[in-house]
Amino acid sequence: MKDLHRALVLFAVSMSVSVSALELDTIGEFRVAAGLEDEVAALAEAVIAPSVSGWLGESVFFKAGVRARADFADELEPGRPGNDFRARFSQRVTAGSIVDIELRNFYVDVEFDDHVLRLGKQQIVWGEADGLKVLDVVNPQSFREFILPDFDDSRIPLWTANLELALGSDTNLQLLWVPDNTYHDLPDPGARFALASPLLLPAAPAGVAVQLLSPRRPSRVVADSDAGFRLSTFRGGWELSLNYFYHYDDAPVLRTSTRNRGVVITPEYQRTHLAGGSFNYATGAYVVRGELGYSSRRAVRRQHHDQVPGVYNTGELAWVLGLDYDGVRDTFISGQLFQSVATAHRPGTMRDKLESNLSLLVRRDFRNETINAELLAIHGLNDNDGVLQFSVDYVLRSNLTVTAGVDLFYGDRDGLFGQFDRQDRLTLGIEVGF
Amino acid sequence: MSKNNTMPLDGNRIERMFWLITARPGLVVVVALCALVFMASGIPRLVKDTSADAFIAADNPAVVYRDRVKQVFGLDDPFVIAAIASDGRTIYTAERLALVQNLTSAIGRMDNIDPDRVTSLATESNIVGTADGMDVTEFYELGDDSQTTGQAIAAAIDDFPLYQGSIVGRDGGATLIVAEVLDDKRSQATYDDLLALVAATDIPDGVEVHVAGEAAVSGYLGTYIDRDATRLNPLSALAITLVLVLAFRTLAGGVLPNLVVAATAAGALGVMGIAGVSFFVITNGLLPILIGIAVADSIHILSEYYALAGRFPEASRRQHVVAAMSRMCRPITLTTVTTVAGFVGLWLGAEMPPMKYFGAFAALGVIVAWVYSLTLLPAALTLLPLGSSPVFVRHRSDRFAALMQRFGAVVMARPRAVVATLAVVAVIGAAGASRLVVEEAQIENFQKDEPIYLADTALNRAFDGTNYLDVIVETPGREGLFEPDVLRRIEALQAFGETLPGVRGSTSVVDYIKQMHRAVNENDPAAYTVPDDAFLIAQLFLLYSTSGDPTDFEEEVDYDYQRANVRFNLNTSFYRNNREVIASFEQYIAEQFNSDGAVAHLSGRVFVNHHWLKTIGDNHFRSLAISLALVWLMAAAVFHSFAAGAFALIPVVLSILLIYAVMGFGGIWLGVGTSMFAAIAIGLGIDFSIHTIDRMRELAREGEGTLASRLAPLFPTTGRALFFNFFAIGLGFLVLTTSEVPPLVKFGALVGVAVTAAFFGAMALMPTLTILLRPRFIVDAGAGAAMPGGRAVTWTSACAFVVLVGALGWSDVARSENATASVAEGQRVMRAVVARDEGDWVTRRLLMRMIDRNGTARERDTVSYRRYFGDEKRTVIFYTAPANVKDTGFLTYDYADADKDDDQWLYLPALRKVRRISASDRGDYFLGTDFTYEDIKKENKIALEDYQLDKVGERDVGGRQLAVVEGIPVNEEIAQELGYGRVRWHVDETIAISRLTEIWDVNGNPLKTLTVSEISKIDGIWTVERIEVDNHKTGHRTEFEFSAIDYRSEVAERMFRTSTLKRGAR
Repeated sequence: MKDLHRALVLFAVSMSVSVSALELDTIGEFRVAAGLEDEVAALAEAVIAPSVSGWLGESVFFKAGVRARADFADELEPGRPGNDFRARFSQRVTAGSIVDIELRNFYVDVEFDDHVLRLGKQQIVWGEADGLKVLDVVNPQSFREFILPDFDDSRIPLWTANLELALGSDTNLQLLWVPDNTYHDLPDPGARFALASPLLLPAAPAGVAVQLLSPRRPSRVVADSDAGFRLSTFRGGWELSLNYFYHYDDAPVLRTSTRNRGVVITPEYQRTHLAGGSFNYATGAYVVRGELGYSSRRAVRRQHHDQVPGVYNTGELAWVLGLDYDGVRDTFISGQLFQSVATAHRPGTMRDKLESNLSLLVRRDFRNETINAELLAIHGLNDNDGVLQFSVDYVLRSNLTVTAGVDLFYGDRDGLFGQFDRQDRLTLGIEVGF
Repeated sequence: MSKNNTMPLDGNRIERMFWLITARPGLVVVVALCALVFMASGIPRLVKDTSADAFIAADNPAVVYRDRVKQVFGLDDPFVIAAIASDGRTIYTAERLALVQNLTSAIGRMDNIDPDRVTSLATESNIVGTADGMDVTEFYELGDDSQTTGQAIAAAIDDFPLYQGSIVGRDGGATLIVAEVLDDKRSQATYDDLLALVAATDIPDGVEVHVAGEAAVSGYLGTYIDRDATRLNPLSALAITLVLVLAFRTLAGGVLPNLVVAATAAGALGVMGIAGVSFFVITNGLLPILIGIAVADSIHILSEYYALAGRFPEASRRQHVVAAMSRMCRPITLTTVTTVAGFVGLWLGAEMPPMKYFGAFAALGVIVAWVYSLTLLPAALTLLPLGSSPVFVRHRSDRFAALMQRFGAVVMARPRAVVATLAVVAVIGAAGASRLVVEEAQIENFQKDEPIYLADTALNRAFDGTNYLDVIVETPGREGLFEPDVLRRIEALQAFGETLPGVRGSTSVVDYIKQMHRAVNENDPAAYTVPDDAFLIAQLFLLYSTSGDPTDFEEEVDYDYQRANVRFNLNTSFYRNNREVIASFEQYIAEQFNSDGAVAHLSGRVFVNHHWLKTIGDNHFRSLAISLALVWLMAAAVFHSFAAGAFALIPVVLSILLIYAVMGFGGIWLGVGTSMFAAIAIGLGIDFSIHTIDRMRELAREGEGTLASRLAPLFPTTGRALFFNFFAIGLGFLVLTTSEVPPLVKFGALVGVAVTAAFFGAMALMPTLTILLRPRFIVDAGAGAAMPGGRAVTWTSACAFVVLVGALGWSDVARSENATASVAEGQRVMRAVVARDEGDWVTRRLLMRMIDRNGTARERDTVSYRRYFGDEKRTVIFYTAPANVKDTGFLTYDYADADKDDDQWLYLPALRKVRRISASDRGDYFLGTDFTYEDIKKENKIALEDYQLDKVGERDVGGRQLAVVEGIPVNEEIAQELGYGRVRWHVDETIAISRLTEIWDVNGNPLKTLTVSEISKIDGIWTVERIEVDNHKTGHRTEFEFSAIDYRSEVAERMFRTSTLKRGAR
């Protein structure tokens, strides 16, 4: 790690010498959250995210940025924040139990003709759905606040080679190679948003000890890397894409075994092919959009009688259909239907063969966008559970925004959202940009 | 209800839903109340629109033409203030003339009155011949002193036929002051001001002063509505609470449904406010309807809840709630679906905007009532410490249940008699329908003892009439009106018009010509004719302009003497009379007037009103047919049987026929207020059918014994609830009959009759027909035929969601009809603006500064690029500072093809997502500025196809002579999209840039002003460097400063890809 840091500092210094005009931006943020059930501080977080960018000559652009974060409540990642799910060169630097520092952007763009090659640590966003994902699988996600934060904050940037080739004026081919074995960052047991739903985690019979081992992460840089492409085009008002990604599923397979009359869970990872596409089309005040993705291998959990639960693999076809409506001034309304089908579903599986979620996003601006209110509701039809996120932003000054919000979970404790039924919270935040 | 003694709970999906709702009742109540407050926050934004124009689409050719006429001749619906001598003398006494003069000048100083458009004896001039030609003297300057002035004016008017009947009564016993308003929407306040002015003026004995005219009618209707609303609403609440207390005799029973009512009202009216839909005259009827429906849902739920609580006292309150909700969820959902179908029928079938909105928002309200009944009500019932209802503990002895039981016994014993009676009603109804008459007159909206009604009557008696029909004569070129032949044809047209019923007089430029012709012929009465010589006519006008005020004719001819307005005064606004008049005019103009030299078109208030009134009948029958069809389909779908759908319609059709009978035989017109009753009667009446059929199916399936005995429990249970349902709605409409607006009174009474008929139809006719016909969908309805509840609810909610989102959008769908108008000059100027060279590409920095009314400023630095790809213009803007908005990007493809929607994308860095945004939101404000997306995209240009353009003059601004071009969106849809009702550009033709742009909103209020303060020539291209916008509504201001403008460096094509948008600013 030290070598890496030294190299980064040297690189930054050397670049700043040769760069013509450097731009330095910093965002500072302070957020607190109070749990509505337990009435304790669920979050008290100060974040500072400086970044620097500029041109190296005519056609090379670079950007570097870090995020330093101190959560004084220490409820989301109790104890020293871990790096179990991250590749060695994507790990966070931690100080004590409350501070973590992460490299969020570190890349160069090399432009040639109409093509661009972006090399370095970056985020790749596929798909456009709100709240839940179908095609947006390139980068893993941190679940320390479940799915509540903006994806931009929770997505984990990866070291990636990203080549975007312009084929004609409205067609693009994106080629990706991701030699970074970092996967979803799942909170440890005891964390506020530790996953507890039997849909995801095995539940041992009462009195049986459960031991969760460190994940068995693939570690070969080349052999275990991910690769894929996205072909996108814009024709006659239709925006279309074809996507393919050969990758390790970022969600671990939780293999269980019995040892000394206790249960041992070992998170493992497995490869899958993702093939799919997306479309969107604007007509009148509406935009219709959709994504479809087929994953060749998904591990699902199965409940055996009187035995430790097991897992098996199935293909999964998932899609989202969305309708956005802009017809009311200053208001944006968007409804989505997410569905996924386990193609080789067997009886006794924890998830249903068809899983459906509905979402509704309503956003309204007031007073020339100085006040923005947003409601995002996601409702799972299978378990009748869901989450409601309501927030109001107030732009006080050009670079100063205060935010208040409430996040409410409801439904069956065994459901994906219902598991956090007792984690409803009220949030307040202030954000400053320099 | 199960027959054993355990709670009827079986753990199905619906029950699970209500267990979920009642698990966190506090949360549900809080969320529901928050939503209520949110919706209610839209109510203060409601704007009243009581104008007759509200009833006609703004893109109707009659309106478009009328608006053009308004522009040319400056004619508007005026206030008319009349001084009428009540003592049999004339108004030519000194003190009476002084009164007219004082009032005229006081009115000219009033807010919202156009001081240049106040006309009275005190402003007009006399035309007389003198030794050396013609003298134009103001009437008040005639005579030597105040005594002789009166006599002189009397003599002059006697000699000036033009003013007889228009400004002065033909017997000299009355005179008028005509005043035009600046802003129609503020007519109500202006009317109040005028009344106050008249009250404060010292009026001489023997004179009455009246305020009337179209503007007054519109204005006063606003006051009328205000008074009505403040009176009707508390009355409704009181009436409902009374019914509820009577039904349940508990406090919660009285209070909780009122919460659902509040949410329903807030939902419909609040969303109306948020959506910018005005509160029309007929919107007053919406509230009682929604209240009735909201209460009905609550009554059914509470009845079931209290019945269960009385029957199973040992079960918990939550169990009672869940059991009651799961039992009532289905029928309430079914009635909601069918009622919504009825209102959607009105929405689809009606053409008049207020009626369309009535249908749409009634449907929305019904959905809100349904949502709150199924969420807030169970949550609140669980939360509150409720007792049981004394009524339901002693259920058997409840007199309403007993009453309904007796009613049932009577009906079931004589099925044939019941059917025969109702068949007679149907026949009478059909006979009544054949006597229906379509008629309307806006003044009849007032009671006959109202001052406005009295004023209108007095004015129409003393003068030629306050209803105007305009005939616009257009000649092919400038000064075409100097042709004697054209003027003679106008004269003949006037003579013809004055023979028609109700037409009492007319005014045109011909009257002035004749007066002037006589004046120059030494006042020889024989010379009161149109001269034979075009040259002489031109001379007469010239002579007048040198001695009088040339603007005196601006209501009669345009500036170029190309178009003339012939105004006919009618003393009646009754549709049927004026229909005949318009038909006669149309025939005359087509057969005898039109020729190469001149053509005529009808316009004016009477003509515009005729246009929408003639659609009332069609509208009515079309929306009736659509509503019936939709309700039939919905009912068929919910009962899985087309026969059941038809069966459900029987009471509804019966009630409509009964109303036709009442209208036909009672002489009630099919007018604005009454034409909507049918769709509403369907929406409300179908509830009774659905509840009855649903319950009969259940009873037929479960019970034992004969069909009649199995159906008997219908009456004390569902029948009792329906009785209170009927009672609540009936009371709601009873409240409406206390309205001061006569059409609302009739409307309320008619719907009351309809609901009564539907109730008795459902309670008497449906069970007896069931016994007589034994329909399969009731008698054979096995368990399998019932709808799978959970799925039904899921899909119904999904459908409701789709309907809601769709409803918001669909309402924008409007017909576009191009107005035909010659606009060559305006087109030329703006075409030059659009064709202005902008270079093939440009790069520049832009500082945006947004300042709120308190002076707090926000700044954003951006860099923007533009490039033409052939005709297609692509623009991209990236934010560069401050850090928290950095990388926000906006990309747009602006196509030359007007039929092709532009494409645009927004990149929000917080989401890392490029969001496609629809092009129809081009009137939305761009990222917090006062520029719309369209303004940003067009950059001081416009889409020519969006506007009807007209050059209205020239103006000196800052020492530069600028061409003033006015644009009106070509139709309502475009106006709504742009958010603009009118735009006035001040174009510097030397550089083809508008230096000053004034913009009005779709309601005609001043919206914003754009000022271009710095322009320079960069790389040979005229370029705006600084532009400011002031938003007059919000007090907000935006300043744009462009810098580092570079037209020379080529902008790479890749800058305009969505992938570049994602990568952010460079």
